[in-house]
Amino acid sequence: MLDFFSIFSKGGIVLWCFQGTSQIFTSSVNALIKAVILQERTGQLSYDHDNVTLKYKLDNEFELVYVVAYQKILKLSYVDKFLNDIHMEFRDAYKNELQLQQFGKNFEISEMFTSILKSAEEWGKLQAAAPKVMKSFEESQKSKKTVASMIERKGDDKENKKVKKVEIKVPDVKIPEPINVELSEEDLIQQKRREFAEKMAAGKNKSKPTTEKLKSPKAASKKSKESRVWPLGGAPKDMETLDYTKDKDLGESPLPQQAVYLPDPKAIGTLQGEVRDMDFESESEEEEEDVEERGKNDYVPQQVSQQKKKTGIFSLFKNLVGSKTISEEDMAPVLDKMRDHLIAKNVASEIAGKLCDSVAAKLNGKVLGTFESLANTVKASLTESLVQILSPRRRVDILRDVYESQKQKRPYVMSFCGVNGVGKSTNLAKICFWLIENNFRVLIAACDTFRAGAVEQLRTHMRHLNSIHPPEKHGGLQMVQLYEKGYGKDAAGIALEAINHAQEAGIDVVMIDTAGRMQDNEPLMRALAKLIKVNEPDLVLFVGEALVGNEAVDQLVKFNQALADYSASENPHTIDGIVLTKFDTIDDKVGAAISMTYITGQPIVFIGTGQTYADLKTLNVKAVVSILMK
Amino acid sequence: MVNQSAIPHINQTAVDICPVTPGSDQSGLVKVKILLRFIFLFVWRKGRVSRRGICLVGLCESGKTLIFSQLIYKKAVESFTSMKENVGVLDIANKGALKLIDIPGHERVRQRFFDSYKNTARGIVFVLDSFSLNKDIRDVAEYLYTILSDPVVSSNRPQVLILCNKQDHPIAKGPQVIQSVLEKEMNVLRNTQTNQLEAVAEGGNRKSFYLGQEGKNFEFADIRSLRVEFAASSAETEDLENLKKWLQSVA
Repeated sequence: MLDFFSIFSKGGIVLWCFQGTSQIFTSSVNALIKAVILQERTGQLSYDHDNVTLKYKLDNEFELVYVVAYQKILKLSYVDKFLNDIHMEFRDAYKNELQLQQFGKNFEISEMFTSILKSAEEWGKLQAAAPKVMKSFEESQKSKKTVASMIERKGDDKENKKVKKVEIKVPDVKIPEPINVELSEEDLIQQKRREFAEKMAAGKNKSKPTTEKLKSPKAASKKSKESRVWPLGGAPKDMETLDYTKDKDLGESPLPQQAVYLPDPKAIGTLQGEVRDMDFESESEEEEEDVEERGKNDYVPQQVSQQKKKTGIFSLFKNLVGSKTISEEDMAPVLDKMRDHLIAKNVASEIAGKLCDSVAAKLNGKVLGTFESLANTVKASLTESLVQILSPRRRVDILRDVYESQKQKRPYVMSFCGVNGVGKSTNLAKICFWLIENNFRVLIAACDTFRAGAVEQLRTHMRHLNSIHPPEKHGGLQMVQLYEKGYGKDAAGIALEAINHAQEAGIDVVMIDTAGRMQDNEPLMRALAKLIKVNEPDLVLFVGEALVGNEAVDQLVKFNQALADYSASENPHTIDGIVLTKFDTIDDKVGAAISMTYITGQPIVFIGTGQTYADLKTLNVKAVVSILMK
Repeated sequence: MVNQSAIPHINQTAVDICPVTPGSDQSGLVKVKILLRFIFLFVWRKGRVSRRGICLVGLCESGKTLIFSQLIYKKAVESFTSMKENVGVLDIANKGALKLIDIPGHERVRQRFFDSYKNTARGIVFVLDSFSLNKDIRDVAEYLYTILSDPVVSSNRPQVLILCNKQDHPIAKGPQVIQSVLEKEMNVLRNTQTNQLEAVAEGGNRKSFYLGQEGKNFEFADIRSLRVEFAASSAETEDLENLKKWLQSVA
């Protein structure tokens, strides 16, 4: 029961459209495009908007998008099959026009559509009607173990158990087990034979290569468990061998004598003079080491395949000349390398994974030009995605907005939130300096009533700023004022009073400094949400440090969620912008910027690059992306 | 005797062949200079002539893709938010072909696509929604400001047309009103945009382009390097006469 189906080009022109109901789906499809595709979340193939679920398929060869919409409460199983079928049919029918990009033609595919839809629906019904097939014995877990290993006998060696563990780790094979009782040695032989048979059968195995890489060498080496000899332990029967008393006859002891240390004559004199520098490893070597160390990623890649070793000169030529369609298997090694590179640059591992999935979805099926290499295409696509993520989704011009509030005779309210120690108060002072340089008067509201010295810190900043911009230069008006009520009071109340005071005094900007809080701390998150809800600031800025790694994901998600959940209104005011601090400390590991903008979708408004007032900058998207991809 | 009379004749012919006698390298130098001048003129004119692109820019939902399809495919199509640019060739009577490029309006991608096509731009059409201008004035003005103050645009000097689309709406504003509203907004923007913070990793010199004349309120006529015109249109009712006339004049 599809409500809506449409084929349109990536440039936006609709080639064909089917509408089952009178509901207008334009806004839903536009929301899908804006939220998913333009936000580089193309890894997820379905999107919910209002009561409608939208599923889409990208055709990267001809730059088309196929979108299906249906009611969210229905769980249609045949939609994916339908999309694939109609993609194939449409492509075959109109290949010529699509290659020439003649989108103005009238595409008449109603019969094609109804027939494919019918077949897909029937397929869906068959799938639902078919009784659930029981797993065959080959597919079950039991076939992996030998019968001998499952029989528990008293006094069995630990060897058997080790053998059993080894077998389970070995990837699944659909070979029926002989049912007979065997000894452990013969078990080993059988298992070896099985492994050999697998390798000969060759096929793509679907297990995770990381576990295979790590665990198979270990499994291969440990055949049996040797009993460990502890020097200080042991039974009384070992007394003689463990006796190290001096007057013992040396000939009786089976252990080696105490080692006589002979100096190595070759090493003497080689380290004279100054200590020499480390050898400089080339970049590629370092990357390989990183890959090996990072064998166990938190994020497990979704597309996993074995690398086909391409041998022969002809494959080399084929890659250079002629059109080649990109498939997922081709891209997997390149994407893995890219993902590791991003993680090495401090992008959160989850985000790096999602980005690589998104690039894979965008390039799957695309035809390579004659002298383009796969690695370059993937790299270019990834660079584009990064630029897209870092580019702001809305206009970022705080001075203009402050000017607008000034005209409306009300103060522009900015609030700063974040975890402990990221630099909220320092960057608040820097932004304050920038604003007073542009001739706006600022009121700082000291809503950090918990940390010792918070109010004094802000007072010192206020005095300092006022001495840089004395009232005489600005027509007798004090540029920076501080509104504080000491410690221990309610932050939301202080903020409210501060805003009212600013309104009366005609102050242009109010900056609310809040206490740092951990994202898991529920009462504090509630208090923050209450402050935001009660005071309705124009800008809620999340302050995060650039040094943060995977924590950024957790912090931002929980902050956003807290602001949404505890606000008890229909349109909660979530984070509007990000301030990235301590940027001067990270050298070229700028990945935190990507993690934060990807999670929230909000732009980075300010970047803090030091401790003085002038160390405030904005984001230069191209420069940061080039540093990231270097 | 024959030799004596022949020699001056031979000398004369020799002089004819090589007109400049004092050193042959000077003549070579002149020839090289003339050759270089020709090459320079050729490349310069080729650069100018090869810019045959017309960029359609504007915010989301302003009607760019619809205008594009009406000009290229000669029919109205439904459209969704563009993710990619649309490129088509438009034949102008007596003046050759123009390449029409519809650049997506979404904030995240528009800069990237515009950067790749601004070099070939002979003209820029900025499409705006006359009906909802009040709400979007700040976004419209900021985008327009970014385009007009772009260094490549300032050096190439394309012609700019601000197309006030969606005139079929009864309460849509006319081009003159829109011009004055935009001028006031750009006036404010001049100050805020030039006072923006320096960008990270930019290395010192930030080119802040001040549009118009200092000390005077901003007017589109003040921008010396670009010629900005205003026109009305309505893509829904296929009223694109002003646009077509402008395209004729630009080609």
